Amino acid sequence: MFALRGIAVSLTFFVLLYCLLSALVAVAWRSLRLLRATEQSLAGLLFALRILPLTASVVITFAFVVPSFQLLEPRSINSDEGIGAIPLALGVCALLLIACGCLRVITAQTRTSRVVARWLEGARPLNVDAGAQTVTFCSRREAPPLTLVGVRKPRVLVSEATVALLSHDELDIALKHELAHMRSRDNLKKLVIRFCPFPGMARLESAWSQSAELAADDAAVSNPDDAVDLAAALVKLSHLVPVEAVPICTVGFVTGSISVRVARLLAWSEAEAGKAQPMRIRAWYVIPPTLVALLCVFATYGPALALTHEVTEWLVR
Amino acid sequence: MTKAFSIFGSGSRPQLGPFEQQLLQKLWSHGSATVRELLADGKIRQAYTTVMTTVDRLYKKGFLDRVAEGRAFRYTPRQTPEELQRVAALEGIRQLLGSGDTSSLPLSYLVEALSAHDAQLLDELQLLVERKRRELKTRGPR
Repeated sequence: MFALRGIAVSLTFFVLLYCLLSALVAVAWRSLRLLRATEQSLAGLLFALRILPLTASVVITFAFVVPSFQLLEPRSINSDEGIGAIPLALGVCALLLIACGCLRVITAQTRTSRVVARWLEGARPLNVDAGAQTVTFCSRREAPPLTLVGVRKPRVLVSEATVALLSHDELDIALKHELAHMRSRDNLKKLVIRFCPFPGMARLESAWSQSAELAADDAAVSNPDDAVDLAAALVKLSHLVPVEAVPICTVGFVTGSISVRVARLLAWSEAEAGKAQPMRIRAWYVIPPTLVALLCVFATYGPALALTHEVTEWLVR
Repeated sequence: MTKAFSIFGSGSRPQLGPFEQQLLQKLWSHGSATVRELLADGKIRQAYTTVMTTVDRLYKKGFLDRVAEGRAFRYTPRQTPEELQRVAALEGIRQLLGSGDTSSLPLSYLVEALSAHDAQLLDELQLLVERKRRELKTRGPR
């Protein structure tokens, strides 16, 4: 009973904290737009903010709630104390939330694997500069023009129409764009986002998606000719109508606001690109505050556990 | 904006006349204003009572909020231009979808219109790309 009560209390705390932080993030994320940062940094920040409720709830639950219950909850007296209706109900809610997240991930992954397997029938490696290991040519009609698929072993799929439509330079730069998504592990990030659903997050997710596209554009382009080639590839491939909706765990080349992306690429200049360096967090700035924070946590861990225990007691009674 | 008002004005949202639109635009630029403030710059040539009646009508139609300020009212638009445009567009689409006997038919008009718009937009983007490419070529080879 003690263990069950501990699990129920921890899950209650987790679900309440998760909902509170998610609601805060859903409201407050727009202020990030005011930041003057590169798209790469912005995409990183938006993703971090999107998964903050889940990570913070898990860390706080395991670092404070579970130990505080283990150490401070009396075991001998009131051993027949029940779980209580509120912790039980909220515990079930937390389990449902976790189950829902797992189900969404499994469904997305299964559907993606099924669709990608169909696209890959009769596919062969494409001999391009980007590397034959990662680029695959698809001859199936329903395959999308240019897409990054896979989480563990990602690869870029190129359709017959894409090879026919694009010039060598355009195909090369479009592949660089998809490889930038691969380096950022955007498919994995999509899966993580699917694991932590919360109403009101759609706009943040869409902003992250658009930012990730712009960041991949920036990563691919290194001179004005590249920028024009990428814009041309984007416009040409936008004419191809997809036969079916692409699955979740893929990143298509023609995604996001095409006009915004083309306008940005046509306005690309080396001077501006040189100015816009991604936010580099130097070790000198990170290590001392981290050490101080860790010391503070160690020094105040006992009182923090006592406080957490009081809060959980107040929550469940 | 004006087009959105006149096209989609016949739904559940009351239609706006040209003078009502002019006053609403003015209120958006001011943020909030009394009738006297609206008339202050002299761009509106109507009489005080005409403006007062019109903003009162806008208030009754649900476009404005008002608070008493002395013996007059201070009017504030309830929605931003973007919000109002969104509502107008949604109402227009709702009307279009509910207009035909065959439910899929109006949707096909919408898809057709969007496809035509997309194609036109892509053509314009293509022209921009070609222009930029020519510009880069005249500057010098790669």
